[in-house]
Amino acid sequence: MNHRQFAAHTPAADGAAQAAALREERLLLLLSIFIGVIAGLLVVAFHMAFDWLSVLMRGSSPQPHQLRLIVVPTISGLVIAVLVRYVFPEARGSGVNQTKAALYIHNGYISARTVIGKFLLSALALGAGFSSGPEDPSLQIGAGVASQISRRFGLSRERLRVFAPIGAAAGLAAAFNAPISAILFVIEEVIGNWSAAVLGSIVLSAISGVVVARWFWGAEPMFRIPTVNLVDPRELLAYAVLGVTGGVASLAFTKSVGWLRPLLRRQSATSQLLQPAAAGFLVGCIGYFGLPQVMGAGYEAIDAAMHSQFTVQVLLLLAVFKIIATTLSFSSGTPGGMFAPTLFVGAMLGAAIGSVEHHFFPHLTGSIASYALVGMGVLFAAFLRAPLTSVFMVLEVSQNYSIILPVILANTIAYLLSRILQPVPVFEIFTRQDGLDLPSMEEQREESDLHLEDALHPVTVPVLQGGVSLLAAADALAQFGDLSAAPVVLVHCSDGLWYAATRAEMDSLLATAPPDAAGEESVALTPAADPSLTLEQRLGPERTPVLFPDLPLASALPHFQRWLLLPITNRAVRGALEGTVSQDDVLKRYQQR
Amino acid sequence: MLTDFEKGSIAKRKLILRDSLAIFSLFFATVLLFAITLFLFRSFTAHRAGLAQLWSDRGREALQAGKPADAIVDLRTALTYSPGTRAYELLLAQALAEAGHTDEAYQYFMGLWVAEPGDGFINLQLARLARTRNDRQSAVNFYRASIYGTWEGDGVARRSEVRLELARFLIDQNDLAAARLELLIAGGNAPDEFNRDMNTADLLRQAHDPINAWTYYLKALAQRPGDPAALEAAGRLAYQVGDYANASRLLARLEAESAAGDSALSTASDDTILLEKAARLQELLPSPALPARERVAHILAGRIIARQRLSACSAQFNPAPKLPSALQALNATWAGPEGSAGAATLLHDSALQDSAVQLIYDTETQTEMVCGMPTGDDALLLRLATTPHPMSLPESEGTGGTTDSRD
Repeated sequence: MNHRQFAAHTPAADGAAQAAALREERLLLLLSIFIGVIAGLLVVAFHMAFDWLSVLMRGSSPQPHQLRLIVVPTISGLVIAVLVRYVFPEARGSGVNQTKAALYIHNGYISARTVIGKFLLSALALGAGFSSGPEDPSLQIGAGVASQISRRFGLSRERLRVFAPIGAAAGLAAAFNAPISAILFVIEEVIGNWSAAVLGSIVLSAISGVVVARWFWGAEPMFRIPTVNLVDPRELLAYAVLGVTGGVASLAFTKSVGWLRPLLRRQSATSQLLQPAAAGFLVGCIGYFGLPQVMGAGYEAIDAAMHSQFTVQVLLLLAVFKIIATTLSFSSGTPGGMFAPTLFVGAMLGAAIGSVEHHFFPHLTGSIASYALVGMGVLFAAFLRAPLTSVFMVLEVSQNYSIILPVILANTIAYLLSRILQPVPVFEIFTRQDGLDLPSMEEQREESDLHLEDALHPVTVPVLQGGVSLLAAADALAQFGDLSAAPVVLVHCSDGLWYAATRAEMDSLLATAPPDAAGEESVALTPAADPSLTLEQRLGPERTPVLFPDLPLASALPHFQRWLLLPITNRAVRGALEGTVSQDDVLKRYQQR
Repeated sequence: MLTDFEKGSIAKRKLILRDSLAIFSLFFATVLLFAITLFLFRSFTAHRAGLAQLWSDRGREALQAGKPADAIVDLRTALTYSPGTRAYELLLAQALAEAGHTDEAYQYFMGLWVAEPGDGFINLQLARLARTRNDRQSAVNFYRASIYGTWEGDGVARRSEVRLELARFLIDQNDLAAARLELLIAGGNAPDEFNRDMNTADLLRQAHDPINAWTYYLKALAQRPGDPAALEAAGRLAYQVGDYANASRLLARLEAESAAGDSALSTASDDTILLEKAARLQELLPSPALPARERVAHILAGRIIARQRLSACSAQFNPAPKLPSALQALNATWAGPEGSAGAATLLHDSALQDSAVQLIYDTETQTEMVCGMPTGDDALLLRLATTPHPMSLPESEGTGGTTDSRD
């Protein structure tokens, strides 16, 4: 069988395909910038919308014992429930899982209606005081924008799918004012792997989104960050305590949402229509009776906690009631994100632990802001299960690298503890509750890919040197005795590469060999049968692909169409044989998994 | 009939045209969206700025009205709409301090200090808060940073005020040497101004530096010669250090100014008493600087008073054997030449004069211990006895120099 027979496309068809691929690649990069800019503009508008609604509905200075703190979220809850039920059914939830669903189920499609609904209803919910955040809706708005734009350009289905994470990164980056965190989150939580094909576009769109957001809001970080520092290495013990506390708090948070959400969803349709109003009423009551800080996104309270404006008791109360308020808001089906509440709870716990530490060990303790910041990262790592994002988020938000040690320590402890206490991540709990079967990013991250070395076998087939003549090759083969069990002969060529010749090829070549010195019947010498030609010259210029033991096992699969056996060589010594793999070896290895 | 190549070329051109149109549309839509967002954003920021101004005005008013708790709420709201505005942050920090939230105010000011460590006002506030927290060293450090920091407006005057405040703090801390140093620097750096000179003089007096205090009182009097407060303070200082001549002169001037001026400025009764005391002390003071004849006259007058005091005190212990040993010893001394020598003898024997003076002082001191506090001339003699080295301060209000002439 000649490998040339496997050529499936004509040169013209190949050229057209290459041109189409090149066009899509260029469009992908160009559209990434547009997507970033438009997503950034929409996120700015979204931010203005909920801020404005907040002033309009809750007043410019919400304080306890103002009746509208109860009335506004209750009525808004009713409006939101009706709109979600009858106009924007896809707008409920945080937005992260919906974006993942778009990527894995709907070929990256998010409808314009969903984007509009997410924008309006999330802004209304946040403005009314529901305890949620704007980041996850921003992520979905960005993904929706990308989906809508990409469909105007007649791109392939494979390309269309990758636009959702590109837009998601832009939306999140603009909302967070933190491009690295946004990129990492999309990779950690939405895509699940570092795909070079989309990484460049994700970076471009995230940067475009942040540039737009900063053009409007300025380059300052999300929070005013006071001095953050690590005063004494012994202080790391306190950060370890913070990590443990964060792990336990994230468990409580996950359990409460994981319990209440399905419980409310099992209720009757009428009851579900009233749930957002009931949640709004209860959240409003928390604000009315003394803790208005838990209403809305809560950025001002995070800022205040970082500037030591709360006592330990108030900090702990705020953390507990924020978990309750967010559980109520989110479980009732009100659109809104989980990021801001997570940061809120983390900041309060961090500031509380920092205050206690400051009280007992004033000379060993850095600023309370350091603890609040690390606390934010801790909850992010433990609750949202995005450990890498959590570290970079704290660094980006604080714009200070000196806090890296406490961040890594506390986040790792919280993350590991959360995994032990709650093996299923919160976003996966939601997907299961929604009846979806999306890939678990955490599991995906931890899957160990098989490599060629896992299917590698010792060389059992004859090995010939390519520089010998056909006669010498025939003699060498004769020494191997019965070759029926060896369907392939490996030929080591003088350029260091290999050729895996089939028995048929070898038989065909040897048949053209000139008679040996014993004076057998002479045959006419054709160019191919030129006795001066070596074995490798007779085999032609083609060689088996160069494969190494550490390459993914799947990388061998495309080559079995041409080669029956693939030599696996050493990276250090060119051409040195480590072993061989056959298609059968690869398949068996996959089946053993 | 088109060839495949031509068909492909046409299709390619169509695709390029379509892509170009789509990108142009996208660009146009982006520009339009940007313009709309910008318009809304300007309105949004203006609205927020208005709210910030409204709440900061309320906060400022509440602070001025002495309602720091209300001011805190208002200013926090203002900062919600205009985060990081330094003026609001300073007001909020002030409100926190005034409301008694010392730790919170300290933290808040520390946050501001990190951004502007050389700001005089922030350092001054931190110094005050450190005082409240009994953190002496931090207070001194922040005071000094405030003095050398930047100030808006009249920096010289503000620095001088801060230095005076630091001096007051050091006096409270009983670190008088450091306080004197700060006061002298403050006085030297600032231009002459009545209130400032008076303030400096008062603080120098509290820091136990009467001579420099006197200098600043004189400076103040040079600017306002008839000022009752300056006359009174200077007169009292002179009396305090034993310069009864200057004390009498200044207190007499005070009385004269009061008599000539508004009835509201009438001399306080204790000033009149002090004047009388100063005048009498001048008559009794046996200063070696006096002419011999005059000094002897003073000694003789004092001796009569002291003798009477001893007799009165001894009379309380009847019968005589119950007389305390100190009084018995005094009686023995009185029997000697210093207790009995006449004017002529004393006039020619300065050593005897000194012995007689010492006897008078011993008598007043011992009788005070045995029979209690004396009154009248005895009290004045006792004062002379307990102020053995009275000062003589320069008389001129215009000289400004200091003299430290001691007996």
